[in-house]
Amino acid sequence: MAEDHLNEEDPFHPRIDWALWRKILIFARPYRRLLLVLSILGGLCAGCDVLLPWLTGRLIDLIKLDGASAPVFRYGFAYLSAVAILASCIWTFIVVAGRITTGVSYDIRTAAFAKLQELPFSFYDKKAVGWLMARMTSDCSNLSRVMGWALLDLVWGTCVLTGITIAMFIRNWKLALVVLLIVPPLLWISRFFQVRLLLTSRALRKANSHTTAGFNEGIVGVRTSKSLVREKQNLVEFSGLTSTMYGHAVSNALYSALFLPLVLAVCSIGVGLALWRGGLDVLGGAMTLGTLVTFIQYAAFIQNPVQELANMLTMIQGAQASAERIVGLLDTDPQIKDSADVLARIEEHRKNPRINVALDGLTDHIDTIEFRDVTFSYNAGQEILHSFNLTVEAGQSIALVGPTGGGKTTIVGLLCRFYEPTSGQILINGADYRQRSLRWLQSKLGIVLQQPHLFSGTIKENIRYGKLSATDEEIIEAAKHVNAHEFITALEGGYNAPVGEGGGRLSTGQKQLIALARAILANPQIFIMDEATSSVDTQTERSIQSAVEHMLEDRISFVIAHRLSTIRSADRILVIENGQIVEQGPHRDLIRRRGPYFDLYTHQFAHEREEQVLDLAANAVQ
Amino acid sequence: MASKGNKARSLWDLTAGQRSRYLAAAVAMSIGIFILYLSPLIVRTAIDGLIGRQPVDSSQRFFIRILESIAHDRVRWAIFLAGLCVITVTFIAGGFTYLKGKWAAIASEEIVRQLRNRLYDRLQHLPISYHDKAQTGDLVQRCTSDVETVRLFYSNQVVEIARCAILVAAVLPILIYLDWRMAIVSMTMLPVVVIFAVLFFKRVQDSFKKADEAEGAMTTVLQENLTGIRVVRAFSRQEFEKEKFEQRNRTHRDLNYRLFWIMAGYWACSDFLCLAQTAIVLIVGGWRVSHGAMSVGTLVAFVTYVSMVIWPVRQMGRILSDLGKALVALGRIEEILNSPEEANPAQVAAENRSRGEIIIKDLSFSHGEKTILQNVNLAIQPGQTIALLGPSGSGKSTLVNLLLRFYDYTSGSITLDGAELKDLDRKYVRSQFGVVMQEPFLYSKTLRDNIKLGRHTAADTQAIEAATMAAIHDSIETFEKKYDTLVGERGVTLSGGQRQRVALARALLKDAPILILDDALSAVDTRTETAILDALKQRRGRQTTIVIAHRLSTLMHADKIVVLDHGRIAQMGTHDQLLSEGGLYRRLWQIQGTLEEDLTREMEIGAALAADDVGQTAAEAAPT
Repeated sequence: MAEDHLNEEDPFHPRIDWALWRKILIFARPYRRLLLVLSILGGLCAGCDVLLPWLTGRLIDLIKLDGASAPVFRYGFAYLSAVAILASCIWTFIVVAGRITTGVSYDIRTAAFAKLQELPFSFYDKKAVGWLMARMTSDCSNLSRVMGWALLDLVWGTCVLTGITIAMFIRNWKLALVVLLIVPPLLWISRFFQVRLLLTSRALRKANSHTTAGFNEGIVGVRTSKSLVREKQNLVEFSGLTSTMYGHAVSNALYSALFLPLVLAVCSIGVGLALWRGGLDVLGGAMTLGTLVTFIQYAAFIQNPVQELANMLTMIQGAQASAERIVGLLDTDPQIKDSADVLARIEEHRKNPRINVALDGLTDHIDTIEFRDVTFSYNAGQEILHSFNLTVEAGQSIALVGPTGGGKTTIVGLLCRFYEPTSGQILINGADYRQRSLRWLQSKLGIVLQQPHLFSGTIKENIRYGKLSATDEEIIEAAKHVNAHEFITALEGGYNAPVGEGGGRLSTGQKQLIALARAILANPQIFIMDEATSSVDTQTERSIQSAVEHMLEDRISFVIAHRLSTIRSADRILVIENGQIVEQGPHRDLIRRRGPYFDLYTHQFAHEREEQVLDLAANAVQ
Repeated sequence: MASKGNKARSLWDLTAGQRSRYLAAAVAMSIGIFILYLSPLIVRTAIDGLIGRQPVDSSQRFFIRILESIAHDRVRWAIFLAGLCVITVTFIAGGFTYLKGKWAAIASEEIVRQLRNRLYDRLQHLPISYHDKAQTGDLVQRCTSDVETVRLFYSNQVVEIARCAILVAAVLPILIYLDWRMAIVSMTMLPVVVIFAVLFFKRVQDSFKKADEAEGAMTTVLQENLTGIRVVRAFSRQEFEKEKFEQRNRTHRDLNYRLFWIMAGYWACSDFLCLAQTAIVLIVGGWRVSHGAMSVGTLVAFVTYVSMVIWPVRQMGRILSDLGKALVALGRIEEILNSPEEANPAQVAAENRSRGEIIIKDLSFSHGEKTILQNVNLAIQPGQTIALLGPSGSGKSTLVNLLLRFYDYTSGSITLDGAELKDLDRKYVRSQFGVVMQEPFLYSKTLRDNIKLGRHTAADTQAIEAATMAAIHDSIETFEKKYDTLVGERGVTLSGGQRQRVALARALLKDAPILILDDALSAVDTRTETAILDALKQRRGRQTTIVIAHRLSTLMHADKIVVLDHGRIAQMGTHDQLLSEGGLYRRLWQIQGTLEEDLTREMEIGAALAADDVGQTAAEAAPT
């Protein structure tokens, strides 16, 4: 489901959806003044572009009339001045357009990022991270480019076209009509080719990503390929990919190879017509030679504004899919958010803060958590939990065990209010948790995930994530609590050692210890842990175990447990299967019952012991 | 500098097979440019001779005479023909330009297509030891972005440089012929524009790099936020994250804005230089025309030629400053292409299906300083099931790697059906094994194709049979597209256990004489494992089987159990033999016994503690 989005074709919209663009234009509002400046600059540039051929023609006429006394240098100076103005206009509009482009993409990114922080997990379940990344990078820059440049293209193109038309009509309206004949075919050709080029370059990009994936697969899977003796067959398949890519690249190249010569050819029709009809007019005395030269230059130049106008349309069409997705993202309802009532209480509390009270004006301490008839499904029809009931008192620790897909993770997700029950209620201190502030609840949580997530930065920064105001002493204290201090100080740089992207420089066990230290520093009222299944070395394993035991004291804790020691030390064990509790109670009771827990336990026990013995054997000689 | 010369040489070598196409493209381009250059001459002649009625030189007179003779001395017709000539000439020139574009594109795309295929093939055939050392990301980058850099060189840089050279080379004689003094004036800016651009891009490279890095930093924050969204929410750190992202986003914006400043400077300056060239031509030319030293038509021709040449030349600077990148990229590519492939001296031609008899004698193997296997002696009879047991690092997987000839053993001997493994063709050896690894690799193909990789010719029913035996058939049936489900990024994400079972089905379908399960069921739950092992027992004797596992339940039924410890065989024998011997194996086995004891003890304590509800629980515990 989530993966479908990676496959998503970028649709190409022949029709421009102006209503959609109006929504995006909100982002242009802060830049109104700059956009105005941009329009003026576009007009100025167009003026210069129209003026230059006109000056050339004028000069020729004057030379013809006055010979040696013609004001060549005055005109030359005027020409140079126009060029200088043009150059400074170009400089300014690139800077202004750059300001708008970078500004708009910054604004869209900031808004989208803020939105992403509010969206519920059900949203994240449906969208792959890669998909979201693409929205934040390529879609944002697509849109901002349109904002900056489309307007400039529009203003400049229109002004030049109008300017040339007016200038030509003033000099010779009949000849003007003749030269303007080439505009419609030019427009059509430009549109035709630009759309084709856009589509083929997209196809090429896609083929390129397939080829990259092919290389990646060839490298990662090299052992398998060798053991299956697949080298030849793999190469055949891979060369299929490169041939496709070759095909797209060549057809893209052919379109662009055809495009410019064709445009020039059409322009030459204009030049030829101007030469012929204009030449006759000059012969008949109806027009000067200089005007003819001006016309010829206009005819050759007219392709530029036409191409820019066509380009603007293509750019908007090409970016429309981006606009749709960004607007879609920004318009998504966060679903799980504080109700109006809660917001009112938060506001009230902000004005009259009282001591020992949560930010939403209710008690800060969590005494009980109750699941009452909780039913939940990610997708309609597929219930993960059915009428689930559970009450937990402060200080209790709960171990969740059972097969994968049974609903353990869902219970934890609901508790954290990452999701809300489809029906039924979750009560905190007897009140529905939807009457509490989301931020408050989540700030009371300490979570350690199966695959601990660290942020790139130093170890210290990662532990401090649990409590931003923590002093260095507090951080070291927390690290000592979870027996992480020793390995941290052994690292080069100690607490200031970088963890690498995603914590890549640390082992899984070390990452887990850091995650535990981070959680302990947050001093949560509810501790939630999804124990890692992957084995770590014995020493780290022991550190983790004692750290976990430490965490379980004096708080409500939920552990999705895989290790016997954790399971045994829990106050209550819940065996979850198919969204229901099939057995619950303390360890000894469950063992005596010889039910599902007993089965799980004996298997697990045997494996752990076997691994321990093997591990001992491995360490014995070393 | 010698290496630079070598690389330039290899850039040339890569064009082998496409040189005639490049030559054709160059010829077409030259013709196209030459014909296109006629157009201003025609306009000039028309303006001067036909319209301006000025005295003209001999070649123009010749052209005018042709026009007039066709037009029967009617000027109106002659002018029409001149216009027609302009159009025709441009169309023909366009045709040649198109041919040039086409041939150059085909040539360069063909070069990189072959380069990609060569790279892929080489990567497949490089020894495992090469892949052990290399980083996947780095290799992929060489194969993609470095190849792209080389492609740009062939498809764009070479072609553009050639075009500019021909443009300038062809225009000079024409301009000199028209008016040599003016020719000098109209070319003064060319070197200035090129040098300006080269220097400019050399200096600003750093800013581009910084902007790229800022983008990287921003995406990292974004990615870490999105993948760690649970952590962010759990610690309620939304505001902190927003601030962090905002900071990177701002740096990114500011550095990019700086790039716009820089580029604005480049475009404005180079535009000014180019247009100033026209202005100079206009001023000097205008002055010359006004003094009767030159005709109006010639002036118009000069203005046109200048704009025909100077705009393409303007791009030169950028291209020239990028030129060195192709050499660097090619160097990185050649490192792969020049690494030696797996040596494969096939002295003994073997074709038949092996019987599956493996004899290992005095085998030792070390990796660098570290000895991994020491004096291993082991005889495996056809059809036997051998279990390898031992702590991690004891050499089990290395033994498998040696059997598959991923590495070459240096001392001792391994024979397959009596033939020394080292002398056999690697591909032959590998085709005799079906292997399932702990973290198996599946291709991004459908499940059916993945399973059939073992044997292409297999019928669907056979694939299903293998899948059933590997206990994955039922899981596959729950997928919407069943066996047509794509694996990987564009399809389903399989769990570790599912992947292992698909790989097992693949190996079973391959039905090789020897099956190796290298900790292949570690992620499969116990119940399923038992089912798989039962199914495998049915096949017993059909193929030699080597099992590596950590669970005794997986190993105990093997014909021979080999306990490896620090590269040596510590124990070898059947389950019963090893139990009677004592040692590691027996210690492992005894855990089963102590488990019962532990449980009884725990229950006794539990019973004492919970004496009040004994009646209820004792009744439930009793049947067992």
